[in-house]
Amino acid sequence: MDTFHYDNKIVRNFGIATIAFGVIGFLVGLIIALKLFLPDFLGFIPELSYGRLRPLHTNAVIFAFAGNAIFYGVYYSLPRLCKAPMWSPLLGQIHFWGWQAIILSAVLTLPFGITTSKEYAELEWPIDIAITLIWVVFGINMIMTIMKRREKHLYVAIWFYLATFITVAVLHVVNSFEVPATLFKSYSLYAGVQDALVQWWYGHNAVAFFLTTPFLGIMYYFIPKAANRPIFSYRLSIVHFWSLIFIYIWAGPHHLLYTSLPGWAQALGTVFSIMLIAPSWGGMLNGLLTLRGAWDRVREDPVLKFLVVGVTAYGMVTFEGPMLSIANVNAIAHYSDYIIGHVHNGALMWNGGLAFAMLYYITPRIYKTELFSRRLANVHFWFATMGAIFYVIPMYWGGITQSLMWKQFTAEGFLQYPNFLETVIQIVPMYHLRAFGGSLFIIGAVVGAYNVYKTARSGSLIAEEEAQAPALIDPAAGHEEKWHRRLEGRPLKFSVLVLVAILIGGIVEYMPTALIESNIPTIESVKPYTPLEVEGRDIYIAEGCNNCHSQMIRPFRSETERYGEYSKAGEYVYDHPFLWGSKRTGPDLHRIGGKYPDSWHLRHMYDPTSTSPESLMPAYTWLLKQDMDVESLPNRIGALRAVGVPYADNYEDLVIRDAKYQAEMITQGLRENGFSSVDGIEVTSDKKIIALIAYLQRLGVDIKGENDPFAGLPSSERMGANIKSN
Amino acid sequence: MYKDVLRSMEGIDIYPSISLILFFGFFILLVGYLIRTGKQHWEHAANLPLESDETTTLKIEES
Repeated sequence: MDTFHYDNKIVRNFGIATIAFGVIGFLVGLIIALKLFLPDFLGFIPELSYGRLRPLHTNAVIFAFAGNAIFYGVYYSLPRLCKAPMWSPLLGQIHFWGWQAIILSAVLTLPFGITTSKEYAELEWPIDIAITLIWVVFGINMIMTIMKRREKHLYVAIWFYLATFITVAVLHVVNSFEVPATLFKSYSLYAGVQDALVQWWYGHNAVAFFLTTPFLGIMYYFIPKAANRPIFSYRLSIVHFWSLIFIYIWAGPHHLLYTSLPGWAQALGTVFSIMLIAPSWGGMLNGLLTLRGAWDRVREDPVLKFLVVGVTAYGMVTFEGPMLSIANVNAIAHYSDYIIGHVHNGALMWNGGLAFAMLYYITPRIYKTELFSRRLANVHFWFATMGAIFYVIPMYWGGITQSLMWKQFTAEGFLQYPNFLETVIQIVPMYHLRAFGGSLFIIGAVVGAYNVYKTARSGSLIAEEEAQAPALIDPAAGHEEKWHRRLEGRPLKFSVLVLVAILIGGIVEYMPTALIESNIPTIESVKPYTPLEVEGRDIYIAEGCNNCHSQMIRPFRSETERYGEYSKAGEYVYDHPFLWGSKRTGPDLHRIGGKYPDSWHLRHMYDPTSTSPESLMPAYTWLLKQDMDVESLPNRIGALRAVGVPYADNYEDLVIRDAKYQAEMITQGLRENGFSSVDGIEVTSDKKIIALIAYLQRLGVDIKGENDPFAGLPSSERMGANIKSN
Repeated sequence: MYKDVLRSMEGIDIYPSISLILFFGFFILLVGYLIRTGKQHWEHAANLPLESDETTTLKIEES
């Protein structure tokens, strides 16, 4: 019999981080929810603007809150299932502090406009590298713990943990291929349609393998623990595991229905998304049926309450997901607040519910005490549940309402609500309710944090928890076993099989579009951006405009009437990264170029209500005051060439002159039209607003083939022919 | 567009089909295997979360 110790200190640390970053992430969410109906809330401070805070909120909730909760669950359950302590306490420490440092770096970059703009992958390249390293540290520690275990069989929860590690590693690395231009700026290796496909292969599977598989592992460990009975069907869990990981990886293109993505990829995404109901519901039922004969305990035990509501929410969300993947349902729900409701149903109840269930389960055990107050835990439970309901239902309601208004025609065949703003104002009451629901959820979380804190204070941490188990001489022994049992004794072979399962979908579905040039028909008149437009585009990215505005007009009459010609794949071939967006809080911008004069954009950015009364868009006053960055433009043009934009070879030498010339032309035009100053602020050609106007006026105009964007620039005399000859 | 894609890569439509058949074959094999092994075979595995540790008793339930 071996005697060994489980390290509860690292578990506690991840628990503290889960609560702390949870509350912070929720609060940032509440701030941006308030900003959606009080655009001047907190004033117009660049670092606190909606476009910059929204990615901070999503990253905080996904990677800081749910991420730390995953590690909390893994560092508690994995050693106990392996009957062995975590392999290396040092790697555990590096993992813990490294992960918190990455979160801190997100706080120090995203509000300052340092972002790649790719959803849930916004962090810039140096942080991407740090994430990779820390993730590998986690993986090594996990796999080595499994190798040194004292239990031959790998319990199903561990398979889900392994699949999480392997798949997230693949997703993160492939989606982060980018070429650095400066220390904090890089350009995606992929362009346009290809970038979109890779991004949503990543984005969708971040949901699958960061917010789902690790939490399923947690479900398979903590529901049996809390209910004190084994899982309903272990055999079902095996089918659940393999079906889920194989099918999930294919479903990404359902985020891109009706876009310029090739039709066959969209169809594959839909088919596999619908198939996903089967394993998802198999897993959900497996969790819930474990409680058969123990339902009375759900009334008593807050841990079970959170687990049951969490798994039920998982069931709702995984039914909704496949339904949203059906093209004509997607046509209504996509770009609307419905999707925001959908993801919060999952995040608040499934991820939040399981995280809080773990906190209530683990804290009394590692502190050798009892829960401070069951009553407060119940208060938390009801605040969380009612908060989620008050959040989700208004979003469903508002999303469908707005989307139907977008599509409504009059009897004469005109758009009934041609002004986008009308459809926004209609759903503002829903935004109020959403903020109310979010507040309820946060109050609940604070009560929960207090309860956990008091519980910890009432006991003392068992830093090293003693356990005993017979030594296992050769975990791989047992040749008389059948094949799957043998496989479970061999973690490395098991991992390779998982990798194969997820790579099949990746390679078959994504490679053809991502790698074959001819998949994207080029359009002769589509040209690279001028240097000033590149700067404008980078400002668009830094301000996070893509969080509220799409650049993808779907081929519906309601969209072509409102925005113009639908978007073609060939229009995006120089877009590194793509900026299609996923939510229309404001209108689509793909055909905004030439729609309004420069002066309209100037006034609109300075004060949106001056051109669009009652607009909910925040003012971007600082764009008129801050200088644009022309100095690094040659580097950026060089990086863009490296990812495939055909700028002429020595164009770098002329970049700054071209940018300044074009900026001067725009400023002169504004001055001639009487806009030499706005509200006492002089309009000069070195300000960010000028570059942004240049970019916005370029959007979607190339397809008309009327103007050569480089014509008239100083470089065109010397090398215009070169640039045009691509 | 759809035709362009098909033309640019010979027989591209066969790969998703092969993948699906592969997975479906694996799925049938797995289900057949699980039916043959029977519930008892997995009892030990299913009880793994319950047998470990418990140096601290389930005091929450008693209180």
